[in-house]
Amino acid sequence: MKFFILFTLFVTTKAVTDKATLVLIDNFNVRETHSQFFKTLQDRGYSLTYKLADDAALVLSKYGQYLYKNLIIFAPSVLEFGGQVDTDAITKFIDDGGNLLMAANSAAGDVYREVASECGFEMDEESAAVIDHFNYDNTDDGDHTRIVISPKNLINSPTIVGNQNTKPLLFEGTGLILDKDNSLVLPILSADSTAYSYNPKSQVKEYPHAVGRKTVLIAALQARNNARIVFSGSMFFFSDEAFNSAVSKVHGDKIKSGSSGNKELATHLSQWVFGERGRLRVRNVQHHREGDLKSSNTYTITDTVVYRIEIDELKNGKWQPFEADDVQLEFVRIDPFIRTTLQKKPNGVYEAIFKVPDVWGVYQFKVDYDRVGFTRLYHSTQVSVRPLQHTQYERFIPSAYPYYVSAFSMMIGVFLFSFVFLYYKEDPPKSKSE
Amino acid sequence: MPAAAAAKPGNGQTKGIFHNTAGFSTLITVTVLTLAWLAGFASRLFAVIRFESIIHEFDPWFNYRSTAYMVQHGFYNFLNWFDERAWYPLGRIVGGTVYPGLMITSGTIHWILHTLNIPIHIRDICVFLAPVFSGLTAIATYLLTSELWSRGAGLFAACFIAIVPGYSSRSVAGSYDNEGIAIFALQFTYYLWLKSVKSGSVFWSICTALSYFYMVSAWGGYVFIINLIPLHVFVLLVMGRFSQRLFVSYTVFYIVGLLFSMQIPFVGFQPIRTSEHMAASGVFALLMAIGALKYLHSLNPKGQWKKLLIVGGLAAAAIVFLSVVLLTYIGVIAPWSGRFYSLWDTAYAKIHIPIIASVSEHQPTTWSSFFFDLHVLVCTFPVGLWYCIKNINDERVFVALYALSAVYFAGVMVRLMLTLTPVVCVLSGIAFSIILDLVLREDELPIPPLENEESKNLYDKAGKVKKRPQEITSPVDGGLGMNVRSGTLIAFMILLMLFCVHCTWATSNAYSSPSIVLASYGNDGSRRILDDFREAYGWLSQNTADDARVMSWWDYGYQIAGMGNRTTLVDNNTWNNSHIALVGKAMASNESAAYNIMTALDVDYVLVIFGGAIGYSGDDINKFIWMVRIAEGEHPKDIHEADYFTERGEYRVDSEASKTMLNCLMYKLSYYRYDSGGSPPGYDRTRGALPGNRGFKLTYLEEAYTTEHWLVRIYRVKKPDEFNRPRLPLSKRTISTTKALTKKTSKRRKGVLKNKPTVVKGKRVKLQ
Repeated sequence: MKFFILFTLFVTTKAVTDKATLVLIDNFNVRETHSQFFKTLQDRGYSLTYKLADDAALVLSKYGQYLYKNLIIFAPSVLEFGGQVDTDAITKFIDDGGNLLMAANSAAGDVYREVASECGFEMDEESAAVIDHFNYDNTDDGDHTRIVISPKNLINSPTIVGNQNTKPLLFEGTGLILDKDNSLVLPILSADSTAYSYNPKSQVKEYPHAVGRKTVLIAALQARNNARIVFSGSMFFFSDEAFNSAVSKVHGDKIKSGSSGNKELATHLSQWVFGERGRLRVRNVQHHREGDLKSSNTYTITDTVVYRIEIDELKNGKWQPFEADDVQLEFVRIDPFIRTTLQKKPNGVYEAIFKVPDVWGVYQFKVDYDRVGFTRLYHSTQVSVRPLQHTQYERFIPSAYPYYVSAFSMMIGVFLFSFVFLYYKEDPPKSKSE
Repeated sequence: MPAAAAAKPGNGQTKGIFHNTAGFSTLITVTVLTLAWLAGFASRLFAVIRFESIIHEFDPWFNYRSTAYMVQHGFYNFLNWFDERAWYPLGRIVGGTVYPGLMITSGTIHWILHTLNIPIHIRDICVFLAPVFSGLTAIATYLLTSELWSRGAGLFAACFIAIVPGYSSRSVAGSYDNEGIAIFALQFTYYLWLKSVKSGSVFWSICTALSYFYMVSAWGGYVFIINLIPLHVFVLLVMGRFSQRLFVSYTVFYIVGLLFSMQIPFVGFQPIRTSEHMAASGVFALLMAIGALKYLHSLNPKGQWKKLLIVGGLAAAAIVFLSVVLLTYIGVIAPWSGRFYSLWDTAYAKIHIPIIASVSEHQPTTWSSFFFDLHVLVCTFPVGLWYCIKNINDERVFVALYALSAVYFAGVMVRLMLTLTPVVCVLSGIAFSIILDLVLREDELPIPPLENEESKNLYDKAGKVKKRPQEITSPVDGGLGMNVRSGTLIAFMILLMLFCVHCTWATSNAYSSPSIVLASYGNDGSRRILDDFREAYGWLSQNTADDARVMSWWDYGYQIAGMGNRTTLVDNNTWNNSHIALVGKAMASNESAAYNIMTALDVDYVLVIFGGAIGYSGDDINKFIWMVRIAEGEHPKDIHEADYFTERGEYRVDSEASKTMLNCLMYKLSYYRYDSGGSPPGYDRTRGALPGNRGFKLTYLEEAYTTEHWLVRIYRVKKPDEFNRPRLPLSKRTISTTKALTKKTSKRRKGVLKNKPTVVKGKRVKLQ
């Protein structure tokens, strides 16, 4: 019985760590207005805990253990989170590997901006919204803020956004600005060149913060610890209304569609951000001298080395062999001495056979596979490459044959001479003694 | 030494008991040498008695580590040892870059003792090897001196070398370094060389070559031998002292010695490829040429051949010289290495090779250190030299050359005081022997003036007959009165006693500090041991990953490897200047630039020595300017020495120091969080200044460990993935946010929502 309890406890904690999700909302209406989105999550096995964002008992972790793996913040009207949650707690949550999906609208407050800046992008000023006078939907209320985005504006990464995004997308909310120097943030969805971000109720007096294609609507960040963050300028984007409504653009090519592509994209994004897709791991690494079976940490210069790495990808909740043809291996001693593409073998095995350079030192086999949408796959193994041992040099060098000949002929000559010297008897003394 | 000095006068008094003169003098010799050995051994034990049986300083730690490796893994594995823990990530082939004589010597002793079932730890053998070898050096010096002059002079020289500070500085217990055994090999080789020149026998030449082989395997200073012996031969040729003996001994020695020396992997083909060794082969060729000409001359010893001999000899010398120059020019022979250039031009290293100039033992010698290391001997050895030159013969030419060259080299580099010391002892031994001879001998009637062959036993004879003067009041007066004689005798005895006192004092106070354990003395004379180095290295070995890579200045590389057993980037081997310059650049750059270098080199920890809290002057800030210079040599675009000085060219650390100085990594790591050192807190006692940059934070490193007296500070380098999110700092944000004050209190933890519907009991919820 005790064992059983322990077992169930283990199973439940395990489940908690993987799929436990906290949803922070600013009123319980959101559960209804975004029910389809939450339903897709629940269908995929997520246990959603809804809490008001100002709940005084809000906690992310207890006794140093996180209660949730994922965090959804759909509370644009929050000015200050309740309980123990604040910007620092959220950033710490990210630094400890938690995933975050956050959606704003044009009324979102400074807490949102703080969190966004901590992740390397900025949200436009309060009450600013993305306006596009050429690409608004016909359900728009006159401010031209409910805009239609072509799926061509999506980032080119099937892992994040899925393969089939053909339907136009509806968006209503604020714009995001990405830090140019930041290589980790990804513009998932950017606005058209005719868009800008400004307060729709006031006249444009200053140059808008975000103009044209630089206006990012949905941004993502994969931190170095592989925690993922998706930040959407629009909470409307995830709503049932956006999922269900038909799209018809007023101007331009007048795209019409029976339903928007929001649902597919939202589902894909949630799959990516909560780590259902695009996760890689190294199952096994082997390296050995060609012909040897055992692995070794020391190689001699100009050895031929076989390096084998097995890579898995998480697909449908299972680790399966990863398929790619651009995984590279580097053999590094400060600088890479060898950089080669690994040969794909069946069953997720990648192999490289190469000759160790003729320079001794401490090297590292490095596989650094960093692709948009995938977790960073980095594996390094340190080996030493040593010079020849004193027994490994060539015994006889062709160019030295004259010397060998001279040495041996000398030895033979001395031997013969001593032989003659010892056993040759001279005649005259012999006759004398006689 | 007192024992040895006392043994001499005692020598004459017992004469009446023993009538077997030869046996008696042997007994005296053996006794004196044994006592010299004991005195030499005992005077080197201060460090062990005061501290403990421990390996000293820097280089000995490497020697100890490799000896332990050899004992554990066997000789061939040692020969093929590729040390991946040194010079990360270059590695070091230890077997091919080391003079293995030291390791083999102690390994052999260890093996013999263990075969005899005496279980002794290799560390103790290493600690006591140098003191034991000092006795062997004394014997070798005795042999050399008696070959040159007389056995009495030899005993004096042996006693001198046993205790002279110039030699014990490098051979105290724990100073497990090449020099400890190399001086013995040096003296013994010279002795055998003189023996072979004297006898002209192949046997002694081969012995010389064997001893030379041992010297080559033990110390890079073998170059001194392979230049001095040819110089001797050359000078003999110039003096017209060519003989068959010389011809045989040199040719045999040169060829056999050359082949032997090439067997050491570290030396390899150097003896035929570098300029340092060319003198030997040049003299060899010249000797051959002159031998051939002499032979021709002997065929027909008529007038015209004489001229041919001289002209031919000169021509041969010119040809040899030109061909060496030509080969060097073509590139077959490597030119002089930097260390040798700096022997001729003392300013060379300072300009071109800062890494050589940065070592304190490569500085020119001060006058006082001559006296400090040699005391009275520095005054008496010219006397011995004068007598040698006055009564010149083949061997004394050698010792004169030895003395002159060694004096020059000792003047250029402090370190080479070591090669001067033996010859000073030899010549002072001769001088003292002559003086005592003069004072004590006069009553012996038939002794002819000092001659080469006779003089061998002069002193001993004089000593032996010392008893007699009371009986025979000499009618044939030698010129010195009784009072003068005894006065001189007493004066010299006092000198010798003072010498002994000085030697003991110098060895005990100046040369017996292990330098990894420091001692400080309080006002009441109480002693405090500062064991910070071992504390830090112990911390490294216990608390860091086994393959952790530690960056420090090269001085501490061997110690980190030996005591901490961790991978180092640079160490005291200093074979790769650019790698050292890279570390110097990291230390001299600001934090973010240094971080790039450190990540490229996979550095896990940085170790700095900071003496500000206890006033330890040998710390990294004081060495820092050399790091800057070495870094500037390799990276002149990034590092400029002038940036680290104030505008007036001063090297300071206080608020007037330059901005580059105040923000470089070394400065920050030294003064980070520093608040000790008396009043005001954070005062640097070494430099006597209050640091100019204080209270700063480190971005890319974090303090891992600081020892009790702040002497060693270890920092951990953060890994790139610890900078998880690229956050946007406030200064870079385009959209300003107002940092609202939190309304949460410890009791009321509720957050705030905009336009939150307020629910009041009994009323309808009003939505917006």
